[in-house]
Amino acid sequence: MADGVANGPSTATVLTMITATASQNLNFGQIFGGTPKSMGYNKDDSSAIFTVTGQPSAGINLELILPEYLSLANGSARMPVIFSTTDAAIDTTTVTPSTVGAGNGWINRNPHSLPAAVIGSGGTTKLYLGGKVVPSVDQKAGSYSGDIVLSVSYTGS
Amino acid sequence: MVITANLPRWMSRSCGALAIAGLVVLLPTLKLSASVLVSPTVVFVTDKNPTGRMTLMNLGDKDMEVNIHFSFGLPVSDSLGKVRVVFQDSAVTDPRSALDWIRAFPRTVIIAPGASQTVRIMARPPGGLPDGEYWARIMVRSQAVANKVPRAGRADEIVTHLNMIMQTAIMFKYRTGDLVSNLELVGATATLEDTTVTVMIDLENRGNVSYMGVLQCWLRDNQGNEVDFYRANIAVYRGMRRRVDLSGITTEDKLPFTVEFRISSEERTDVAATDMIVGNKISYSVAVE
Repeated sequence: MADGVANGPSTATVLTMITATASQNLNFGQIFGGTPKSMGYNKDDSSAIFTVTGQPSAGINLELILPEYLSLANGSARMPVIFSTTDAAIDTTTVTPSTVGAGNGWINRNPHSLPAAVIGSGGTTKLYLGGKVVPSVDQKAGSYSGDIVLSVSYTGS
Repeated sequence: MVITANLPRWMSRSCGALAIAGLVVLLPTLKLSASVLVSPTVVFVTDKNPTGRMTLMNLGDKDMEVNIHFSFGLPVSDSLGKVRVVFQDSAVTDPRSALDWIRAFPRTVIIAPGASQTVRIMARPPGGLPDGEYWARIMVRSQAVANKVPRAGRADEIVTHLNMIMQTAIMFKYRTGDLVSNLELVGATATLEDTTVTVMIDLENRGNVSYMGVLQCWLRDNQGNEVDFYRANIAVYRGMRRRVDLSGITTEDKLPFTVEFRISSEERTDVAATDMIVGNKISYSVAVE
């Protein structure tokens, strides 16, 4: 052994971490009064994309808290937003919203009750989300907002 | 990979910060517009050292507002063996809940891009707690500061803006007194349907701490050849039914099949040895029906 080089016991612990990223907002684009507008989870430039990075293959629990309506900042008007039972997909192979299939994870899932999932073998899992807004015929113009919360936790610790 | 090994406590902390910096480099390339890294994923404290630490790092390119609050939620399974975590923020009656007597400092912080923040978690338990482990969830909620500012639209347009909020639920464990990690195998079955063998394993925690271990399953043919293998970290707090699907069966594999499984707390590499309460091992094999 060279001078000045210290060897310690070989027992080692991988430092665990988890990273949650809001990679892309759900974007419905321009909306017209009286015309509902849907956005699938499979739109590369418009679906919501959440990215979770952590221990490869570890079991995770994903839970979405979704709004029932969007509202103007001053609260003077609101617009229903609906998330159907097939509006979510979980991708453990990090392809894209438009190319994700059953072999990449879970597709056409209920965002209100997501399946038990895992971090992909590459250390990353993505959640894609679509939805639908239902403006009334006389929907007041303006910028409507709401919160989408994704909770992530490991199930093996 | 990032490693800490048998270092003095002050050095472990320094290395922890360096380790997180290293992890950032190792992360896959992402559109890190609004991203917060949380480490570790379990915070352990004891009656002798009731303060734990957690590091938050902003990996994105925007200021992030991070709020810390607490919840209660254990991994539980349903009759199909699927594991979920159900969170409960109030009216928690579980005698092992630490929800009412832990605090975070700071609770709200704005972290600049590339910066990190240490959060201390302090436990002030009531007197006379029975020996064992007490639990809560540290909820780290983050969103870009810019998201909180209402967006202006043209006066004649209807537009939407959905705020994407990320919440990471970190396990908190407080330990006191004599600690026992003991897991009982209550039952196991393995059934073949088409080319998939479904294994159901029923477990019961008989200790006074959560059993943290590794579950490994091997599907073998009648020659002992390995057909498929599964490995997962598990944490059993009370009872748990765990489902494992093994596949890869071909016409060349010879019936009957057997599933061997082993559960051990000694093979966890994601928890420091000083934080592990080593429990019993379980080895079992079951014929595939």
